[in-house]
Amino acid sequence: MRGLCFALFGGLIFMLLQTTIFPRFLPPEMRPNLLLILVIYLGLSESFLRAVFLTLLLGALQDVFCGSTFGLYVTVQLTVFLLIRLFSERLNVESRPLLLGLICAGTMLQTFLLGFLLTTFAEAGPVLWVLLSDLPFQIFVNLLAGWLLLLFLLRFQPLFGTRQGMAGLPYQSKYHGA
Amino acid sequence: MRDFLKRHQISLLIILLVLVVVLIYSANLRTKTTTTLFERAVLTLTEPLQQAIDRTGASINGLWNNYLWLVDTRRQNIVTRQANRELRARLLAVREVTLENQRLKKLLDFVEADPRKVLPALVVAEDASSWAQTIVLDKGLRHGVQEGNPVVVAEGVVGRVIKVANNSSRVLLLTDAASSIAGLVQRTRTRGVVRGDGRELNLEFALRNDLIEVEDLIMTSGMGGVFPKGLIVGRVTAVQRNDFGLFQQIKLAPVVDFSRLEEVLVLMRPAE
Repeated sequence: MRGLCFALFGGLIFMLLQTTIFPRFLPPEMRPNLLLILVIYLGLSESFLRAVFLTLLLGALQDVFCGSTFGLYVTVQLTVFLLIRLFSERLNVESRPLLLGLICAGTMLQTFLLGFLLTTFAEAGPVLWVLLSDLPFQIFVNLLAGWLLLLFLLRFQPLFGTRQGMAGLPYQSKYHGA
Repeated sequence: MRDFLKRHQISLLIILLVLVVVLIYSANLRTKTTTTLFERAVLTLTEPLQQAIDRTGASINGLWNNYLWLVDTRRQNIVTRQANRELRARLLAVREVTLENQRLKKLLDFVEADPRKVLPALVVAEDASSWAQTIVLDKGLRHGVQEGNPVVVAEGVVGRVIKVANNSSRVLLLTDAASSIAGLVQRTRTRGVVRGDGRELNLEFALRNDLIEVEDLIMTSGMGGVFPKGLIVGRVTAVQRNDFGLFQQIKLAPVVDFSRLEEVLVLMRPAE
């Protein structure tokens, strides 16, 4: 329950950052997608059902503040999560470079899915060029944001130390240091 | 069959879930300007937070720009004074035209339509993505805002309201790829559809034989009933006429600087 609340609270804070703080200082293409990073993180760290529930909620939250049609980001985030989940059992989730690699792959996948859904369902063809031209910047800022979030998480690792398999963080057992 | 379902129940559930969310998205495409209960709840919940953050940000910005960072002020002052002189000269000419217009209207017994009620609103947040163009206003249902209300600034059209909560609303900007409004070239009276492409604007369905030129002003035509006639939309930046085809390709630059929107006006529906 605590993890669920943390993720939801984190999602809300990230959304506020993305809608109010970032637009003041950063051009559109340089604003990181923090919710995507959170979804990737959930895909590697949380139990399946809880992570699906959270991904749907975070996607819906993003839909409230992105674009004009509700459901777009729910679909995109769920697909990204499911694909990350598919591979997560074969990956060493404690590896930090791997998490950053997944953020890079997740950004590309999200751009592809957005482009596909917008051109196929919404006939918003021109937006494809905007998405593609923004992609290198988006990868860069998402990697930077992911790296900073990991540093932040590492700083507060003792608080989460009793949990297993947190993505990007070395495993610590319940009795670590005892 | 039962064995197959049992063996693949997780995979089938996942496929079903993806299909359901795609269907929800597809269904919502038809009702773009309907605010769901979830959207209304989230917008209502986050509006005070966004407003508080926005005000704090504005104060910090103001402190920085007005007291700490004054390097550019002298140059801006000179430019502003020059612009002021030019505008005063133009204003005199406009006054003459206004007076003439009033006389002619009287002469023709022109019945003026009821002017729309205007509601000032503050921009408290922007779109969370890099590709979509929407903003959040601090006015909503409680202030009489409805889905479809046009939003303008002094320079011209900003967009239209697509979602409304109690104390906030979301506006789809003119430059969004999902936005389109009926337009009119001021000089030639050529009609067309102004469509956003995510960054700038295009005028579509403008007949190839009409001689539209760079710097021509595009206005709302009033067709469709959402935007009143005569609001400025943008200026022509490029015209491409092919040897064949019915229409010409026209690129526009919006007259509104969407990156610096702070206050806007919501045009309310005229009383029935």
